[in-house]
Amino acid sequence: MDYGLKPLGREKFWLWAMLTPTLIGLVFGALGSVIATIVLSFAKWDLLTSPTWAGLENYIDLFKDPKILLSLTNTVKFSALYVPGVVIISLLIAVLLNRKIRGLSLFRTAYFLPAVTSAVATALVWQMIYGRDTGILNFILARMGMQAVCWLCTGNAMYSVVIVNIWGAIGEGMIIFLAGLTAIPREYYEAAELDGANGTNQFFRITVPLITPSIFFMTLITTINAFQAYDYIYILTRRSQGDSSVPVMVFSIYRNAWNFFNYGGASAQAIELTVIVATLMAFYFWLERRYVVYE
Amino acid sequence: MTKRFPLILSMIVILSLMLSACGGRAAPTAASESSGGSNEPVTISMMMWGDPAELEVWKQIVADFHQANPNITVNVEVSDWDSYWTKLKTLLSANTPPDVFAMDAPLYLDYQSRGVLLNLQPYLDKNPDLLKGVYPQTLEAYKTPDGMYGLPRDFQTVVLFYNKDMFDAAGVAYPTADWTYDDLRNAARQLTKVGADGKTTQYGFYADPWDMELIWSEGIWANGGEIVSPDHTKTLVGEPNARKAWQFFHDMMFVDKSWPDANAALEYGGDPFLAGVAAMTTIGHWAVPGYAETNFKFDVAPMPAGPSGKATSVNSAGFVVAKDSNNPDASFEFLKYVLSEPAQKRLAELGFACPVLEDVAKSDAFLKQSTAINEQVFLDSLAFAHMKPVFKGYDEWSSAIGDGMAPIWTGEAELDPTLDAAVQAADEVLANNK
Repeated sequence: MDYGLKPLGREKFWLWAMLTPTLIGLVFGALGSVIATIVLSFAKWDLLTSPTWAGLENYIDLFKDPKILLSLTNTVKFSALYVPGVVIISLLIAVLLNRKIRGLSLFRTAYFLPAVTSAVATALVWQMIYGRDTGILNFILARMGMQAVCWLCTGNAMYSVVIVNIWGAIGEGMIIFLAGLTAIPREYYEAAELDGANGTNQFFRITVPLITPSIFFMTLITTINAFQAYDYIYILTRRSQGDSSVPVMVFSIYRNAWNFFNYGGASAQAIELTVIVATLMAFYFWLERRYVVYE
Repeated sequence: MTKRFPLILSMIVILSLMLSACGGRAAPTAASESSGGSNEPVTISMMMWGDPAELEVWKQIVADFHQANPNITVNVEVSDWDSYWTKLKTLLSANTPPDVFAMDAPLYLDYQSRGVLLNLQPYLDKNPDLLKGVYPQTLEAYKTPDGMYGLPRDFQTVVLFYNKDMFDAAGVAYPTADWTYDDLRNAARQLTKVGADGKTTQYGFYADPWDMELIWSEGIWANGGEIVSPDHTKTLVGEPNARKAWQFFHDMMFVDKSWPDANAALEYGGDPFLAGVAAMTTIGHWAVPGYAETNFKFDVAPMPAGPSGKATSVNSAGFVVAKDSNNPDASFEFLKYVLSEPAQKRLAELGFACPVLEDVAKSDAFLKQSTAINEQVFLDSLAFAHMKPVFKGYDEWSSAIGDGMAPIWTGEAELDPTLDAAVQAADEVLANNK
């Protein structure tokens, strides 16, 4: 990672001085639970009695237990749809809103609103939209002479849930991309215009290359969020007694630990999730070295 | 260093974000210093699940208790159902449990078997008259080979609720104590209305088929089936008699279409009876305060009879004392008080459950509540009630069945193979919890 600025000498001191408060929080607040989770992932523990050594049993279960495998598949599928969806759509919206149009702040507010609204409340509203017999969406479809769709039935639920999650995330993505876009000097576009480049060309030849740092950052954050996604999914797909028709990994971890007294197994799942995300991050940083342009 | 550092840092951030759900230990509660002699003032902490209305009543019970026992102060803490269990487990594992806490009978053995509850038997032996007058069916769940580790506070029998307005409008006779499941099915069919666009506008019946308590344990028992083997090693809900019950419910939902499937039910907030689109439902007394806020008239009747007679489910909520409590004596005094007439009366007036003290249950405090329904039905149901099973691993077992059968109730799976797979998954849970 060759950033434009490299800390030298005294700067290095300040770098560490500024990082210290965060690092202290991480070491004392997070490192302990990280280590505890690693240890517990090799144990059988019900929280109430002493843990017993389980060896690799919890890790073997990760590949054997159909419920765990299903939650992993769901999380991977979800992320594969969600990450590109959020990055592309929020970039497009940011580009559209990065110009002088009427009602600009109204649009920006509208797109950002989901980010500051309670996920549970909005998920309940989406439930009304998606309802099979009484939903607004099916009402509109019926008016247009189309067949009603069971949006939240197995088979469709994954896509319906991805749509809601993307809708909830584009606000923040838009802000990040808008910040990136304003940093691109106007002269580049003016020069391109003089050379006769049209809008599409300008977008792919100037905007995209110059905004790669934001794209990189957004992809990274969105991937982490994707693997942790839980609230909208749970509310939209819940069944009785804390069950979900689209169980994702975080849901499965929570349920294994807190409902089923299986803290060891849940820890192994948490480690699995972390390893997957960390591997993806390593891959992203490798891509960053290759493709991201820092001015 | 500078090269690898951001990577390591981001990994730590990721890890900590992922693990935040597995939170740390809670701070010790500032209560219970020493128990000492009975004259020394002590404070005990009490935790339970419930809603704000319940908290008000419990504060009142605690105040009454304090008046009767001026040396003992009780601090009540009420959480919603989900956070209650999370909080409780965290406090127990940190060795800072509340002295007294609420227990749902089916989950009782999950705690008792892990050694976190105090054996109340020595206290009960010293108070031989305490359990006289308590419905014996409500005590069953708390018995273990070496004594009782908990005491009930109230019980729930499941009965048939019906919307009188819908029955009147359709000209169908109200359910009676002589009803069979076939009568229920016929009435449900008559009460189902389909609009001009082919959509159902009113359903005859709804019950949540996920947990056994609301409909399927009753159906299985009424068909002569069983839930689990007495030694809790085998799941019996897939045996031939039990299967008849599943088939019956399945046919009401998908042949008669008088029972909304899971997707339709969700659209009505999960309880179509409460939403005023289902004419009947089977549920316990806890639903009464919510139903009382609707604008339709309703009443209750006993569960219908199946080929093997009448059956319903009885479940009790109770209190237990933490094994690590510093004030076991004061804690037991409180449990004793909960079973006393004044406390049971207050609980009856709250209207969420049936009192376990027979005299109070048969008094006007319970029978003549503000919601005018036939409360006697809840008590009479005890005569043919089966105890909701209690065993270690209950929650996981019940999820294996509930989750396993869920695709049936959304109309996405065939009954027989799905039931076989659910039974197999449930048996695995039983094997893991031996």
